Amino acid sequence: MSEKPRVAFFDFASCEGCQLQVVNLEEALLDVLALVDIVSFREAMKEHSDDYDIAIIEGSITRPIDVERIKKIREQASILITIGACAHLGGVQRLGNQWTPEENKAEVYERHPGSEITKGDDNPFFAQPRHRAVSEVVKVDATIPGCPIDSQEFAKVLIALLTGKKLPIPDYPVCVECKKNENICVFELGGFCMGPVARAGCGAPCPTHGGECEACRGYVDHPHTQAHAEVLKKYGLSPDEIMTKRTMYNYRDHEDKEEGSQ
Amino acid sequence: MKIISKQDFQAFVNALIQDDTLDVQGVKAKGEKFVFGPIDSATELRLDYDVTILPPKKYFLPQYETMMVFDIATGTARTPALDKKKVIVGVHPYDLVAIQQMDKYFLDTNVDDVYLAKRKNSLLIGMTPMKASETAFYGDLMKDAGQPDLHFDLMLTDLGDSYAVLPGTPDGAQLLARAVTRDAHPQDVEATKAAQKEAMGKAIRGLKVGPKGWHSLLTTNYESNVWKEQAEKCLACGSCTLVCPTCFCYDVNDEVGLDLNSGVRTRTWDGCLLRDFTKVAPGEIFREDIVERYRHRINRKGKYLPDALGFVACVGCGRCSSACIPDIADPLNLINKLAESTMDTIPDADVSHVPEISDLDIIASDSLYIPRTATIRRMMKLTEKETFFEIGLDDGQPLGHQPGQFVEVSIFGVGEAPISVSSPPGGNTFQLVVRNVGDLTNKLHSLSEGDKIGIRGPFGTGFDTAAMKGKNLLFIGGGLGIVPMRSLIKYVVNNRQHYGKVMILYGCRDPTELLFKDEIAQWENMEDVEMHKTVDTCAEGETWNGQIGVITTIMPLVTFDPLNTYAIVVGPPIMYRFVNRDLLNMGMPPENIIVSLERRMKCGVGKCGHCQINGVYVCKEGPVFNYKDIIDQPEAFS
Repeated sequence: MSEKPRVAFFDFASCEGCQLQVVNLEEALLDVLALVDIVSFREAMKEHSDDYDIAIIEGSITRPIDVERIKKIREQASILITIGACAHLGGVQRLGNQWTPEENKAEVYERHPGSEITKGDDNPFFAQPRHRAVSEVVKVDATIPGCPIDSQEFAKVLIALLTGKKLPIPDYPVCVECKKNENICVFELGGFCMGPVARAGCGAPCPTHGGECEACRGYVDHPHTQAHAEVLKKYGLSPDEIMTKRTMYNYRDHEDKEEGSQ
Repeated sequence: MKIISKQDFQAFVNALIQDDTLDVQGVKAKGEKFVFGPIDSATELRLDYDVTILPPKKYFLPQYETMMVFDIATGTARTPALDKKKVIVGVHPYDLVAIQQMDKYFLDTNVDDVYLAKRKNSLLIGMTPMKASETAFYGDLMKDAGQPDLHFDLMLTDLGDSYAVLPGTPDGAQLLARAVTRDAHPQDVEATKAAQKEAMGKAIRGLKVGPKGWHSLLTTNYESNVWKEQAEKCLACGSCTLVCPTCFCYDVNDEVGLDLNSGVRTRTWDGCLLRDFTKVAPGEIFREDIVERYRHRINRKGKYLPDALGFVACVGCGRCSSACIPDIADPLNLINKLAESTMDTIPDADVSHVPEISDLDIIASDSLYIPRTATIRRMMKLTEKETFFEIGLDDGQPLGHQPGQFVEVSIFGVGEAPISVSSPPGGNTFQLVVRNVGDLTNKLHSLSEGDKIGIRGPFGTGFDTAAMKGKNLLFIGGGLGIVPMRSLIKYVVNNRQHYGKVMILYGCRDPTELLFKDEIAQWENMEDVEMHKTVDTCAEGETWNGQIGVITTIMPLVTFDPLNTYAIVVGPPIMYRFVNRDLLNMGMPPENIIVSLERRMKCGVGKCGHCQINGVYVCKEGPVFNYKDIIDQPEAFS
């Protein structure tokens, strides 16, 4: 390789846990550094440069100033990669889109004692926020889903990009990986799982360690949502509970149609 | 038969665990369920289990398996070293049957050396079931099988305070010699037989049509509404196939390390219920509708594998039905539903679910999967998307192919793709024409003359040139169809005296997509070849000296005796429907039509399962088919 691509990390509305997952590559991060120059990575270094080829974005696009910022980044970057559920889907914060910004503001900043300090329209951090996925604002070249992302998958995607291969993000449900792990099905244990419609690639860590899949990686391209809803109903969830279960990471406010189709 | 006290059995197992040359695996608890896993102490064994979540197939075809370790810079690959010999304790008879099926599947033809190595490196200690799961129906299935031979090294049956142990192989007997045992008395033998009979009796749920009748039942009911009713509830999650001891389909992927040089080619469990299973590089999915996938799974078990290998690929373990949350996977329920809707009596086929025992002492001659190194001798861009490659094997050997066969082109780190050979047999090099549509073909286009690639094959069944002798030949090629067809056209032109009239019809989308322009001009100028070409559309200002219109519009330009002519038809899926219809209307019998079909031929050797058209493995029985032989396969031209 003649010159190493220059990589910069950027965070928007998020917990920055996905960038932490990159740091969690530990020794392998040194191998990554042999392939790319990281010129901006707030979580791991002090230096910053605006001269980069690959932009890696964590977080949802929330406020008007975020829109301006991501557009600028898009102009500079030849490749834009999103990491994590916030950037990919809008994150759990997207659930806030169910209410108006005023309602959210009142709930968070005004109705509770001690919150008066942030009261007022001049609070710059609260400028009519609506949570959106990065791909709803600018063109995204690659997406690494998950909450948080998987370190190894981050490395795999990077390798795929550098070797010109199709991204190794599968289009089959989490059940596939759960079965390979020889887990007892969450439904059999009395839980409710999004695994049958959720996109795999994570290795099913949640069901494997006693949890339930919440579809943090989004859905497969053609989820059988109707059949899945029947299963949730059969196992005792009410329509409201089914909706809650479905929307935690996958709240859709910008389209009326049922997410995915048969 | 020997008798071993439970105490001595524990000591025996613990001694095996202490043996550094062995890796003892057995059934143990996982929550309320059971799994096969490493055993640290004999007390961990749960031989009173009903069924394990995953079958022991994971030891011979692991969920995630390294087929080879490669080095991109040197272009070399090797099969990974084997682990310690495995002793697998507690395998129920239905799983022994499944392993027998697996042996047949992987070793019958095209010996899978990766499988064989793992299989030979293990000892199976069977166990007569003490309990049956609610969904098991192996007792029902056994009724059609009589008293089949099962393959095990040792077989255990619980007799209260002791086990009866029957050695099934010299290896098993040798292993048993390590234990303190006594000879069985006649009453022990009787007790064992009774326990085995009782075990089968516990797994009877009332299967209405036994395995012998499945083939006919499934044939009659291919279009039954039952498929649709059931499939509506299907999540297409693949669970039923993943937990199945007789589902062997796998996907192959290359993984490269962060040094961008070293890596592994892996195979991982795949399943025909998953949407991408039949997807080919240009994007087409051949079983897109869930009903088709749902139906394929059961038909493969009850009809396709019986046709191909002579056994019904279900052992009645009940794992699929316990894994299926909407509760639609149970083969017994499905067979009973179909039986209820069928008025006819079902004729019996001479088949059961227990194949004969395979010989494991075979030697795999060559690796089935490690490619041979080859060099790109010549490259030529033909169109915007297609490039011509001339390739020579580095061992200097000719490819030895027949017209119509294909090779798997391999590039370590990227993967493999099936590519038709476009040159006629003979010579020390062969030619490919590759469209840039996927990872492999994209990478191939970026290479240069002198670069190394891997080649496996030739694979598949090509054109039957002997049968065509003395006949008129009508070639009808659409788009890329001309690529495999060229191997035959050139062969025929070189052996022109053996054939009657030769007519070539070739169509593509527009003049820019026309392949082999010079050769086509040559064919056009030959006295004894009639050549017509057409394009669907021609942009203004473009020069074009052929016809305009789809391929069927130029078919009336040639005249031939349909009874004495072979039509060789190769093109995109849509083309077959119209061209074959017109040929039949012209009075051509189906057996005179030869087609070449494209499917996802991932392994090339009839193992990975992706290329099946109903029961037909395109990579083995095709890609070239006589239309008569494939016309009855509903998935062929749908």
